[in-house]
Amino acid sequence: MAAPIRVLTAVPICDGHDSAINTINLEFIRHGIEVVYLGYHRPVGDIVRAAIQEDVRAIGISSYNGGHIEFFAEVVDLLRKKGADDIKVFGGGGGTITHDDAKLMRKKGVDEIFFAGTSLEEMVTFVHQRYGKPRAKRVKAKSVDQQLAHKLTETEDAPKKIGNRKSEIGNSRKARVIGFTGPGGAGKTTLIDELVLRFLQKDKKSRVAILSHDPSVIGEGALLGDRATMINSQNDRVFMRSMATRGQAGGLSPATKDCLALLASSGFDYVIIETVGTGQEAMPFQKNGLVDQTVLVMNPDYGSRLQLQKIVMLDLADIVVVNKSDLQRAKTAHTEIEQRLEQNRRSQRLLDTVAKRHRDPGVDRLFDLISGNSKSAKERRKK
Amino acid sequence: MSKLGLVVESVDKYNQFVADQVQRARTDKDFGRDLVGRWNDIKAKIPTSRTPTGIPLPRLALPEIDEAGEIARYLFGEGLPGEFPYLNGAYREMYLEPIREVESLEKNGQAKKGKSAKKIVPAEEPTRLFSGLMLAEDTNERFHFLTAHQRTHRLSTAFDGPTLYGIDSDADGVFGKIGEGGVAIDTVEDMVRLYDGFDLGSANFSASMTISGPAPIIMAMYIAAAKRRFGPSVVPKLRGTVQADIFKEVQAQNETIFPIEPSLRFLTDMVEFTSHEMPRWYPISISGYHIGEAGSTPVQQAAYTLSNGFAYAEMFAARGIPVDQFGPRLSFFLDCGLDVEYIALARVSRRIWAIGMRDVFGAGPKAQLYKLHTQTSGRSLIAAEFKNNLTRTAAELMLAYMNATNSCHSNSADEPFTTPSEEWIRLAAHGQAILLEESGIFKHTMNMLSGSPGMKAVERAVEAAILEEFREIERLGGVLAAVEERYQRSQIQNAAHRYEEQIYDGTRPIIALNKYRNGDDGAPEVKLVRTPRKKQQLQVDRLTRFKKKNAEKSKRALDKLAAVAESGKNCFPALLDAVEVCSLGQITGRLQQVVGRFRPMV
Repeated sequence: MAAPIRVLTAVPICDGHDSAINTINLEFIRHGIEVVYLGYHRPVGDIVRAAIQEDVRAIGISSYNGGHIEFFAEVVDLLRKKGADDIKVFGGGGGTITHDDAKLMRKKGVDEIFFAGTSLEEMVTFVHQRYGKPRAKRVKAKSVDQQLAHKLTETEDAPKKIGNRKSEIGNSRKARVIGFTGPGGAGKTTLIDELVLRFLQKDKKSRVAILSHDPSVIGEGALLGDRATMINSQNDRVFMRSMATRGQAGGLSPATKDCLALLASSGFDYVIIETVGTGQEAMPFQKNGLVDQTVLVMNPDYGSRLQLQKIVMLDLADIVVVNKSDLQRAKTAHTEIEQRLEQNRRSQRLLDTVAKRHRDPGVDRLFDLISGNSKSAKERRKK
Repeated sequence: MSKLGLVVESVDKYNQFVADQVQRARTDKDFGRDLVGRWNDIKAKIPTSRTPTGIPLPRLALPEIDEAGEIARYLFGEGLPGEFPYLNGAYREMYLEPIREVESLEKNGQAKKGKSAKKIVPAEEPTRLFSGLMLAEDTNERFHFLTAHQRTHRLSTAFDGPTLYGIDSDADGVFGKIGEGGVAIDTVEDMVRLYDGFDLGSANFSASMTISGPAPIIMAMYIAAAKRRFGPSVVPKLRGTVQADIFKEVQAQNETIFPIEPSLRFLTDMVEFTSHEMPRWYPISISGYHIGEAGSTPVQQAAYTLSNGFAYAEMFAARGIPVDQFGPRLSFFLDCGLDVEYIALARVSRRIWAIGMRDVFGAGPKAQLYKLHTQTSGRSLIAAEFKNNLTRTAAELMLAYMNATNSCHSNSADEPFTTPSEEWIRLAAHGQAILLEESGIFKHTMNMLSGSPGMKAVERAVEAAILEEFREIERLGGVLAAVEERYQRSQIQNAAHRYEEQIYDGTRPIIALNKYRNGDDGAPEVKLVRTPRKKQQLQVDRLTRFKKKNAEKSKRALDKLAAVAESGKNCFPALLDAVEVCSLGQITGRLQQVVGRFRPMV
């Protein structure tokens, strides 16, 4: 069976009208399409960067605040400039895009504009027909990121064939790989984005890669929505790839291991891998051996104390984070998890964070631990 | 329990109180007699209007009841217009034309001397049309066009996308969006141009600014512009409102620029300032409109708007601002669509607000009023056979006035395509004039269409549903906790999805779209309002000059502002200084360094 179609959807900068795109996204994923959703109020640069890194077949833009002629044209132009004009552009804007506008936009390289009254069915059919055929032979990539993106696609769409072959790109310097896992809603994505902000601020050159996972729904589609909340990670120094689990249980995708190997040897200083929200028995990073450090992000609301005994990752994680530590229950959670970790008699670390808070000191401490800052070593001795 | 839980209790208690009064009126003879006496007295004092065709009509219509219990139910449960709990109206008279001929029905001659000679000052016209396009001078011209024949100048300002998101016209990737969908404002100099020719300190002038994320910065620019033109003494005289509604942005409209908590702090800073220095200003417009437009049901709209309002009241009170100081300066903004709930949505909202403010917050009469601006529904307008939109808007206007809205905006029929053009905006404005001035529906008699059995049925159903929403929000830990959990957002999105499905499966008829469709969907000939590239470039050039001129001073002002923001003190005075020399985008950027950026909720 052919690999699912991947498209990226977004709403342009200075536009918060996300009602239509939310509905369209849901319809797409119900019909087997993997949607990388970038969110609203998104500049051209972010859209094109994400599209190239995610190596999607097409970009769907939903625009209601005007300026669409310029905006769509800028997206097409920038794709062309980056050598990525195999990524196509389509979109709509209810009644705000007139038929005359659409003519002009098509002339500038936009594939299709949907008008008010177009049914969701027609849009789904369009995506399947226009972007469903296998890709033609890829043109030579114009940038390292683009080359990497192409390789990830190959790996993801045919993991078994490619196997564990060695990466040809980048230098062989191995990145530090950090794995994040934990139940859904614990705030993993926000926490990672806050850490990325600190990576970017720490020195002005290092590069970070993120491999993020979201579950596939029945019928192959998936909503890959992490980018929409990861505002700090939309940056040229961050390479992010969103993957659907494509039928595999346990929080990762069948191609994760190969993709991770590729990323780890592609010249990044840090590679962060985020699983989907996991259940109690999950131990996603056990077998692949590629992860240097594992972080379990917990929500203070895990239920009764007994539940903690069942969470396998509490035995395995190097660092356990109680996020949302501003919640009333957080103090109890910290105490109970601390006792649980003591049973393991390993030097596991337990930290409290409030990832949603700007410049949260807990996140600073986590960053020090992960980035190997000397301060954290000192702190460890103190404790 | 948060204050919202107490509000639910207070409304339940009040309803019980009304039931008790009804019972007492029927069992306690003295009480009953007093009520009937009061009722007759009220009726006797109602003046009479004469219609153009010569028939006399009372200026206030009351139900035809003479039994003490029913009178108690009306007076306590609904209240006369302008009386607690304000179901029938926040004020008396409202749309009525001034009395030309008073025929008092009073026969016993008890009218106080001199009262009939009192000159009646005509109320402000309720028409307030939302407008904003291209650059400040273009919008200014539109404002003058709109108010040319009006006694009172009530402007309502729409800002363009970059301004709403607190970024400058020279920011990356916004070219093409400058002046689209609203006016481009980058600096205090634009603000001076925007209201040029209007007397900002006059009692006949008020400005409404529809902006929330960067509201405190824009507000500071408005004050600075007014000071440049009229001197510092104008500040306490300024009248108008700025939207500044953070909760609904996070719940529905997505124009938030700082994380929720600092956004609320900057808002409270501004409210603290205006409460002390600008007694005629409305520093927040608690808005359901965008919740409705994002696809909520009417009940969700009313419930979230009210609960947001109570959450703000709780916040301002916690800052130490007395309720009778900030309470009268709160106002509301609702959407009015075609669903039947709209026949009484604002009436019920007014009643719940009054009870909650009085019984939970201890507010005096002026702080109990749910003062309302209504806009007809933009979402109900469609592109197919768009002239039908005139009828839709007319029906919605009728519903809005039946709810005794204090001011109203009627949408232009061409709105599905473009910023309204003059032709259609004129028709929209005339729609209101035809209803209020040409027709006799609203100008002779208060309560002309209030209190039909059907309307009462809707009132009861809507009130119960709103209180149920309050209980749900309370269960989640109050408004802020529910917002952070995306509760309102998900509810609105679900409702929006259901609405689309209903259109799709035909259970919600939309004429010319899924019913009586012509088949021919040819492009309509509408005149589009688009901002020419040359104008957009002009805005960028102006901004560049402003930044260059103030390069040194802006750096110092931003440092000072950042220091105050770090300290946790009230930022508004520092903002007032900063806007003199800094652009909107410079200020937003600097504050985001201190408090962070808003992380969108998906």
